[in-house]
Amino acid sequence: MPATDYQGSATGLASIGRSMDGSGGGHHEATGLELELEAFQRQVADRFLDLCSSSSAAAAAVVGCEDLLSVQWVRKLLDVFLCCQEEFRAILFNHRSMVLRPPLDRMVSDYYERSVKALDVCNAVRDGIEQIRQWQKLLEIVLVSLDGHRSLGEGQFRRAKKALIDLAIGMLDEKDSNSTVAHRNRSFGRNNFTRDHRQLGHFRSLSWSVSRSWSAARQLQAIANNVAAPRANEVVATSGLAVAVFTINSVLLFVTWALVAAIPCQDRGLNVHFPIVPRNLPWAAPMTSLHERIAEESKRRDRRNACGLLKEIHQIEKCSRAMSELADSVQFPLTEDKEAEVRQRVQELSGVCEALKNGLDPLERQVREVFHRIVRSRTEGIDSMGRTNYSE
Amino acid sequence: MAENGEEKWLAVARHIAKTLGRNDTMADDILQIFSNFDGRFSREKLSEKGGEDDPTTRACAALEHSLKSLDRQISRYVAADHPIWLDSADSSAFLDAVDELIATVRDWNRMAAADKTVGACLERAEDLVQQAMFRIEDEFRSLMERGGESAGKFSGESSEEDEEEEEYLDAGVGGQIPTARPIGDYDIVIDALPSGIINDLHQMAKRMVAAGFGKECSHVYSSYRREFLEESLSRLGVKKLSIEDVHKMPWQDLEDEIERWIKGANVTLRILFPSERRLCDRVFFGFSSASDLSFMEVCRGSTIQLLNFADAVAIGTRSPERLFKILDVFETMRDLLPEFESVFSDQYCLFLRNEAITIWKRLGEAIRGIFMELENLISRDPAKVPVPGGGLHPITRYVMNYLRAACRSRQSLEQVFEENAAAAVPPTAKLEDRGSSSSLSVQMAWIMELLESNLEAKSKTYKDPALCSVFMMNNGRYIVQKVKDSELGSLLGDDWIRKHTAKVRQFHVTYQRSSWNKVLGLLKMDTSVAPSVAARSMKDKLKSFNQSFEEICRSQSTWIVFDEQLREELKISINKLLLPAYQSFVGRFQNVPELGRNAERHIKYGVEDIEARINDLFQGSGGSSGGRK
Repeated sequence: MPATDYQGSATGLASIGRSMDGSGGGHHEATGLELELEAFQRQVADRFLDLCSSSSAAAAAVVGCEDLLSVQWVRKLLDVFLCCQEEFRAILFNHRSMVLRPPLDRMVSDYYERSVKALDVCNAVRDGIEQIRQWQKLLEIVLVSLDGHRSLGEGQFRRAKKALIDLAIGMLDEKDSNSTVAHRNRSFGRNNFTRDHRQLGHFRSLSWSVSRSWSAARQLQAIANNVAAPRANEVVATSGLAVAVFTINSVLLFVTWALVAAIPCQDRGLNVHFPIVPRNLPWAAPMTSLHERIAEESKRRDRRNACGLLKEIHQIEKCSRAMSELADSVQFPLTEDKEAEVRQRVQELSGVCEALKNGLDPLERQVREVFHRIVRSRTEGIDSMGRTNYSE
Repeated sequence: MAENGEEKWLAVARHIAKTLGRNDTMADDILQIFSNFDGRFSREKLSEKGGEDDPTTRACAALEHSLKSLDRQISRYVAADHPIWLDSADSSAFLDAVDELIATVRDWNRMAAADKTVGACLERAEDLVQQAMFRIEDEFRSLMERGGESAGKFSGESSEEDEEEEEYLDAGVGGQIPTARPIGDYDIVIDALPSGIINDLHQMAKRMVAAGFGKECSHVYSSYRREFLEESLSRLGVKKLSIEDVHKMPWQDLEDEIERWIKGANVTLRILFPSERRLCDRVFFGFSSASDLSFMEVCRGSTIQLLNFADAVAIGTRSPERLFKILDVFETMRDLLPEFESVFSDQYCLFLRNEAITIWKRLGEAIRGIFMELENLISRDPAKVPVPGGGLHPITRYVMNYLRAACRSRQSLEQVFEENAAAAVPPTAKLEDRGSSSSLSVQMAWIMELLESNLEAKSKTYKDPALCSVFMMNNGRYIVQKVKDSELGSLLGDDWIRKHTAKVRQFHVTYQRSSWNKVLGLLKMDTSVAPSVAARSMKDKLKSFNQSFEEICRSQSTWIVFDEQLREELKISINKLLLPAYQSFVGRFQNVPELGRNAERHIKYGVEDIEARINDLFQGSGGSSGGRK
C-alpha cells in the first residue's frame, strides 16, 4: 500500500479540523465531530502501531517477523478490526443526520455493501481453520506414536510416517493436489485391492463450503474496488466524515487481505490493488509497513507455495519435514543420539500442536464474531438510514 | 523326589517335542499341547532355557514364545492379498489373535517399566500391533467403501408395498433413499449401511481404539461419511453458494434454490443426520467420546453449508416481495430447531446448535427489516400524479393485499415481532387472546397510519376539495374492507375498524358539503322578499342551479367510486338531499304567476331527470370502472 503526500488543496485531510466552513448553526456540532474524528484516527493508528511493534524484534534495525501472522497476532488483528468498527459505528450513530446527506450517504452505504463481501472471506477462513485442525490431528497421531515412555520401535515410526505423509499430501497447495498422485510407502504387505484416486481425496478430506468457482483473490479485489482517499471537496462536504469512511474501508481491506494471506482458502491470491493512503493519516505508515512485510513474506522462496502464511503452518511444515527426514534416516535399533534427536523433534511438534490446540478454537470464534458484528452493524446502519429518511 | 520326577517328565516332554517336531514351530505347538494338557507342563518349564532360574529371563522367554505364535497368525493375515473380511472365519480368527496380542502387550507393559529386556521384546510386539492396525484400517476403509455402495436400505414397514410408488431421493454413492410420496413425509428410518457391515466395522473399531489407534479409525470413518453426506446434499439439489452468489442471483432463481434448500434441510436434519448418529453409535459402541467426536466431524460441513445458505438469504436485500419466501425459510428453521437440538445434543456439537439459533434469529431480523422497507416505500411514495377521478390508488391496493397475504402467516409474524430470546418451539397460546396489543398489531397499525398519511398527502393534489374527499373515501373504504376481510381485522381490533369506518363516513359528509351545499343553497327560498323580486330571483336561481348542476354532473360523472355499495350510498344520500329540495322549489316555481306559464322553458330537469343524472355519477371516464379489486 503506497503512501504518498496528499495531493489536494490545503483544506484537505491535513486540516480536518479547519475544513469546516463556518456554516452557522453547525459549528458546535463540528467541534464535537472534529474531536471524534481525530480520536478515531489516533486510535486506529495506535492499534496498527501496536500490531507492528508486537511482531518485530525489540531492536529497530532487525526486521524480525517473529510473531507476525501467528495465531495470536491474527487474533489481535481481528480485535483491532472489531474495535475500529465499533468506533466507526459510534461516530455514525452520533451524527446520523449527517449520514443521510449526500455524498456521505452514498459512501456509507457503499461501506456496508463492501463489508458484506468480507463475510464470504470470514466463511472461507473458517473452512481454512478447520483444515488446519485436520493437520493438527495428524500431528497428534505422530506425537502419540513417538512421544512415549517406552522405546521407539519400527512400528511407531511406521505409524508416524504414515501420518506425516498424509499431512504432507493434505498440505499440498490446492492447485497442485489435482495433478499429483502420491503413493504411500507401504512397508508391509502388498494389499493393493483397488485403490482409486478417490482415496487421495481422503487425504485432503475436506472440501470447501463454497462452490468451485469462488475465489478469495477475486473477493479481495471486489473489496478493494473503489476504495480511494476522498477528495478535498468531499472532505469538506462531509465535514471530515469521508476520511473516517476511507479509514474503515482501508482497515476492512487490510484485515481481510491479511486473513487470506494467513489462512488456507480457495484461490488464495494476494495481488490486490491497494489504495494510495495519504501519508499524513497517522495509520498510513504502520499499515503500509505491515502490508509490505506480509507481502515480502509471501514472496520468500520457502513460503511462496505455502497454502497459508500463518506462522504455525510454517512450523508444521518445518517440523513435519524434519521429522520425516529423521524418520526416513533412522536405523534400528536406535542409537542414543538418534533417540535424543527424535525426542527433540517430538518436543518441537508438541509445541506446535499445543499452540494450535489453544489458538484455533478462539480464532475461529473471533472470526465468527467479526462476521456477526459486520452483519449487525450493517443492519443497524441500513435501518437508521431508512427510518429517518422518509420524513421529507 | 517329586521334583526329580517332574524334571524327568519335563525332559521327556521336551525330547518328544524336539524329535517329533520337524521344526521349531511344530515343536512349539507340541509343547503348547503338553502345557494345555497339564498345568505342570507350563510353557516356562518346558522351554529350552528352562534350567535357568532367572525369573525375568524366563518371563521374557515366555513372552517371546506367545508372541512368536501370534506373529505367525497375524503376519499371515497382514500379508494377505485378499480382504480378510471377505470370510467371517478369517476375520474372527484374526480379531482373536489381535485381541490376544493387545492383551499380551498390556500385561507385559507393566513389567517393561522395570525391565529393559522385556521392553526390547515388547518392541517387536508393538511393531506387530502397528502392522495389524494398519491392516485393520485398510479393511475398515474398504468396508466403508463397499458398504456405501450397496445403498441405504429402507427399514420401515412399508418397504415392499410402496416400492413402485416410492419416489427416490438420490443419496450417496449410487445409493438411493426411498421415500414415500409426498416429500412432506419425513417420518422414515433408514439404515445407512447394511447391518452386517456395521457389525464388522464395530469389531474393527473396538480393536483400533483398544490399541490406541482410535484417531486413525475415527479419521477414516469421518472422511467417508462426511463425503457421503455432502454428495447426498448435492444430489438433493442444494448447491454450495457464497453470500455474494446468493445476492447476485435473480430472485426467481433464488426462489428455486430456496425450495431445494427447504427440502434438503428437512431430509438432512430429519433423516440423514439421525441415521448418521445411529451409525456412529453402533460403530463406536462403547466409546462414547469417539462416537460423539466422529459424529460432529461427519455432520459439521453439511450443517455449515445449510446454515450458510439460510444466513445468506437473511442478509440479503429487503425487498418486500421477498417476504413470503423468507418466511418459508424462517419457518423451516424454526420447525427444524427441535431436530437440531436432539441430534446435536452432545458437547462437541453445541456450537452447531447455537449457530442454528443465531441464524434463525437473523431471519427474524430480516423479516422485520422487510417491513421497515415497506414502511419506507409507503412513506416515500410521491404525491405527484393524482389518480384520475379520485379512485383507488395502486399503493392502497398493493399494501392491503400485501398485508392480507402476509397475515396468513400470522403466527410466524407474531414470533418475529415479539423478538423473544427463547429458542425454538412456537408458542401454542391462543392467538385471539393476544389481539390488538401484540407487537405485530402495533406494527400493522403503524403501517396503516403511514399509508393514511401518505394518502392524505396525495389527496391534497386534487384542486377540488370534493374530489379530495372522494379519493379518501375510496381508499379508506377499500382499506376497511380488506381489514375486515382478513386476519388484519383481529390484529387491528374492532375499535380500529369502527374508527376508520367513521372516518369514511366523515369524508362522505365532507364531500357532500363541499359539492352540494352551494347548489342546495340555490334552491332555498327567501320568503321575506316581495313576490316580483322573488320571481326574478327564482328564475336566476333556477338558471344558476341548472348550470351548477350540469357542471357537477359533468365532472363528477368522471369521478370514480369503485365500491358499488358506497356508490349507491352516495347517490342515495345526494338524492335524499337534493330531490325533495328541488321538488319543492320547482313546485313553488310553477306556482309563481309570472313564471308559471313559461315554467317549462326554465325548468330543464324533472325530478326523475335529476335522479337519472345523479345515477350517472361516479362511473369514471369511459363507463364503468369495474367493481372492487
